[in-house]
Amino acid sequence: MTLSAADVAELLLGTTEAGGSAAAVVVVGGAREGLPGRRMALTVPPGAASPQAHGGLGSDSLDAAATAEMMEALSDVRSHDGLRQIEVDGEQMELYLEVRWPVQELVVVGAGHVAQPMAHVGALLGFKVTVIDDRPDFATRERFPDADRLIRADFSDPFADVPLHVRSHILLVTRGHKYDYECLIRALRMDPPPAYIGMIGSRRRVRATYVQLVEEGIDRALIDRIHAPVGLDIGSETPEEIAVSVAAELVMLRRGGTGVPLKDRERVAERFFTQTGGQ
Amino acid sequence: MTREDDRTLSEALVAARDAGRQCVLATIVSTKGSTPRKVGARMLVDPDRGLVGTVGGGCGEAEVIESAHRVLETGVPERVRVDLTDDLLSWSPAVCGGIMDIFVEPVAPHDGS
Repeated sequence: MTLSAADVAELLLGTTEAGGSAAAVVVVGGAREGLPGRRMALTVPPGAASPQAHGGLGSDSLDAAATAEMMEALSDVRSHDGLRQIEVDGEQMELYLEVRWPVQELVVVGAGHVAQPMAHVGALLGFKVTVIDDRPDFATRERFPDADRLIRADFSDPFADVPLHVRSHILLVTRGHKYDYECLIRALRMDPPPAYIGMIGSRRRVRATYVQLVEEGIDRALIDRIHAPVGLDIGSETPEEIAVSVAAELVMLRRGGTGVPLKDRERVAERFFTQTGGQ
Repeated sequence: MTREDDRTLSEALVAARDAGRQCVLATIVSTKGSTPRKVGARMLVDPDRGLVGTVGGGCGEAEVIESAHRVLETGVPERVRVDLTDDLLSWSPAVCGGIMDIFVEPVAPHDGS
């Protein structure tokens, strides 16, 4: 069966929305006539032991080489989409490889002032957004029109109905220090650990939390994983500004940025004036 | 490409397939230098519905659309290289500073329907 671009798009979307990973290749160059445009995909549903293969490139040896490339991409979360060169039976060929991970989730614990713009900007950035609160009138559709899930749960066990995984980003913004702490302990004890744990709070409040964590016997290594106070230093004051600051931190972690203003990093003006001697 | 962009394009692809419409998909497969869109950006050329997504806006998209028309005719995929390294002071739209390779392919098998 020939797998079309539409078939592959459907497979990748379906698998990642369900919490699985997937990779696909298409022949894009260096190949004999008839091969460019042929596709193959591997899907790994959540919890599956081995990937499932779809489509094919035209021969067993080609499929084996493509499968090896896809398996390699799926074994490293830093893998990027792009060209891969393979050589099969003395023939050089170029594949374009796509790799897709389970959809990234943003779990906002506490449905107050900061949570609202946070859910909004989180959705904008492609996160599947969940908002949790213990009060029935807060995690509502009216207040969170673009959240994927709204959950009423007690803060003593906030994640009971929220399956967390390595691509979950947890943001603790409850109305009380005590609630943030309870949720933090649960988040820290998760195995495997979530991608991100952020907790709002002033320096003083964060410090008080760490004192408590140490008393509880939590390791320094675990405490170092907490992003608190949350966000990048852009001088945020309003809930909207705080959401932008946290969003900037999430993007920075996703893309491996530095958080430094690009102006200072690239120094275009400085280099220009140095080169031209200020002319 | 954001999850929403990716989803919108994937859904448009699937809708075109299900409706049996012959379309063309353009995907940036490699870039060098500074390009407006990066590897993985996609554009669907649907003769009945127009364009979904973008591979670079004014910067070189015309060349891709031209290729898409050929691919629609022949059913044979093409590899297009778009060079955006025109002189900065020329005021041409292609001054972003990079080069990108785009794979342009028919979406439904040409001999399928």
